[in-house]
Amino acid sequence: MRRPPVALVPGGFVVAAMADAWFLAGEHHGEFWWSDVYGFFSLLGFFGSLAIMLIAKVVVGPWLQRGEDYYHGSNPP
Amino acid sequence: MSSLPPAIILISGALVLPLLPRRARSLAFLFFPLLAWAVVGTLEEGSSLTLRFLTFELVPLRVDRLSRAFGYVFVVIAFLGGVYGYHLEDTGQQMAALVYAGSSLGVVFAGDFFTLFVYWEIMAVASAYLIFARRADRSRAAGFRYLIVHLFGGNVLLAGILWQYVETGSILFNGPAGGPGAYLILLSFAINAAIPPLHAWLVDSYPEGTVTGSVFLSAFTTKTAVYVLARGFAGWEILTVTGAIMALYGVIFAFMENDIRRVLAYHIVSQVGYMVAGVGLGTEVAINGSTAHAFAHILYKGLLFMGAGAVLYSTGKSKMSELGGLAQSLPWVLSLYMAGALSISAFPLFSGFVSKSLVVHSAELDHRVVMVLLLNLASVGTFLSIALKVPYFTWFGPDRSIETRPVPWNMYAGMMLAAGINIAIGIYPHLLYRVMPFPVAYKPYTAAHLLETLQLLAFTGFAFWLVIDTIHVERKITLDLDWFYRKPAPAIFQLTVVSLDRLFAVTELAALNFAHRLSQACANPAEFAARWISRSTDGSDERRGDRVFYDPNRHRPPIGFIVWVVLCCFVVLLAWSLFVI
Repeated sequence: MRRPPVALVPGGFVVAAMADAWFLAGEHHGEFWWSDVYGFFSLLGFFGSLAIMLIAKVVVGPWLQRGEDYYHGSNPP
Repeated sequence: MSSLPPAIILISGALVLPLLPRRARSLAFLFFPLLAWAVVGTLEEGSSLTLRFLTFELVPLRVDRLSRAFGYVFVVIAFLGGVYGYHLEDTGQQMAALVYAGSSLGVVFAGDFFTLFVYWEIMAVASAYLIFARRADRSRAAGFRYLIVHLFGGNVLLAGILWQYVETGSILFNGPAGGPGAYLILLSFAINAAIPPLHAWLVDSYPEGTVTGSVFLSAFTTKTAVYVLARGFAGWEILTVTGAIMALYGVIFAFMENDIRRVLAYHIVSQVGYMVAGVGLGTEVAINGSTAHAFAHILYKGLLFMGAGAVLYSTGKSKMSELGGLAQSLPWVLSLYMAGALSISAFPLFSGFVSKSLVVHSAELDHRVVMVLLLNLASVGTFLSIALKVPYFTWFGPDRSIETRPVPWNMYAGMMLAAGINIAIGIYPHLLYRVMPFPVAYKPYTAAHLLETLQLLAFTGFAFWLVIDTIHVERKITLDLDWFYRKPAPAIFQLTVVSLDRLFAVTELAALNFAHRLSQACANPAEFAARWISRSTDGSDERRGDRVFYDPNRHRPPIGFIVWVVLCCFVVLLAWSLFVI
């Protein structure tokens, strides 16, 4: 599959922040510090998913992944 | 108004099923959940049924809004599973599914620990059958491990119940109790809820179930555990912490998996994490959130397992590394799977959107900053694995020209019904909220919530798209905490079974030899002594046949010797009677 241009990323954040500003301006809609940060959830989605993929594939994967026959012979007869 | 425990209907149905003609069994299977639905609908809130057993007062039926909410969804998924498995000709599987659903209903309507324990154990055995019924070596091994873990959990539960009974004198299952008994009960509930580090049984066994069996497995065991936690341990802080951790733990491990059903199994751990966290908060909003999410989760996870099962049924494969390019051959399965995927991802207009947000909202109301962030992050991971990675590598990805066989109409029907209910709940949340334990004032469709969700999911998709070329599915497994009992299993087997067996064999042989020698010695002491002396002096062995050991004329003692021994005994006895006594 063709990768999208990386330049779209900051553009996307700007659009998300503008959408928040447009719909939620002046409205207190949450309990936490990020509630008033426009586009916060776009950042969380983007960097959060990259972090999950990184942790899974780069940090945990090499440590815990084994061949499919790893447990072969581990079952009592 | 009825006071018939709905569990009885499904369990009786399982007993009736094999008596019916084979072709009528699938249709009859559907009748029992429908009847149970009608009964659950007529159960009056606050009603109960009590029975005397020995000195105990048992409450096999206790109805309130919490138990009724779980009761409704259990009969719905039993019906949907029946439709999905309508083509089955395996009566054993159908019976096990009905008993499993029935015993789960028994747990949620149980008002005392004795009833709960009995149904709990029936649930374990019936569900194990749905794993064994696949009749593969891997399933057999996974089924045994599943059974061992759950029988251990059952014993812990029994120990907790007995401890509690000794301390309080009551076996009624009510609100939170303290003491070691309560901790043991909590431990057994945590095993069934698959709370890490007690979760490995789930991802080990559910993917090994039959195509239909896994649909049932995904629905009952963990959700009955959520129910009993909500009933007995609401507000226990440890559940809030473990719930939030397990929500994230599940998504990270799911992303590494290759087998679709293992991905789904890890997401059960993750989604149950939301429910457990809500139970830990313990507020009315949080209990509503946990109940709503359990309700929706049963429906969309059932749908996802149906979709994965349809792929397995059609291709014989469930590993993404062996799949790909199925969009042309199984387009409807893809569409229906995506309804489940969007539901679990909390996409607007799907069930998860109105249930998951209720849990997160309850955490917001409780000012739990870290918990809210972790739950939102888990939501990102869910969308990543279930709605992006699995569909991409299964239906799109590299085309491996896989041969498919047609999926039966009833499997499509089951999936369509499940998808329809998920969408209906997503569009009309009050359908779900009206059966919650407490009144629900929460409004999921606000501009802020919609924007948050759409941004979260859209940018997750965007990130996945950016790195898609670097993501590969590999023919690998991920080690989890089941390693601690799977890897040492051969050594434990060697120690506890093989070594003991050898010890018994050696002991048995020694005992037989001893008995043989003893019988020889008793039969002819002179011959025995002659042989023994002969062996010990010149080392010869009569078994070698190299010489004659016993000659009665040479070895038999003369009669005078016998008389001499008798006289000696007589003299000793006489001396003893004269001088000692």
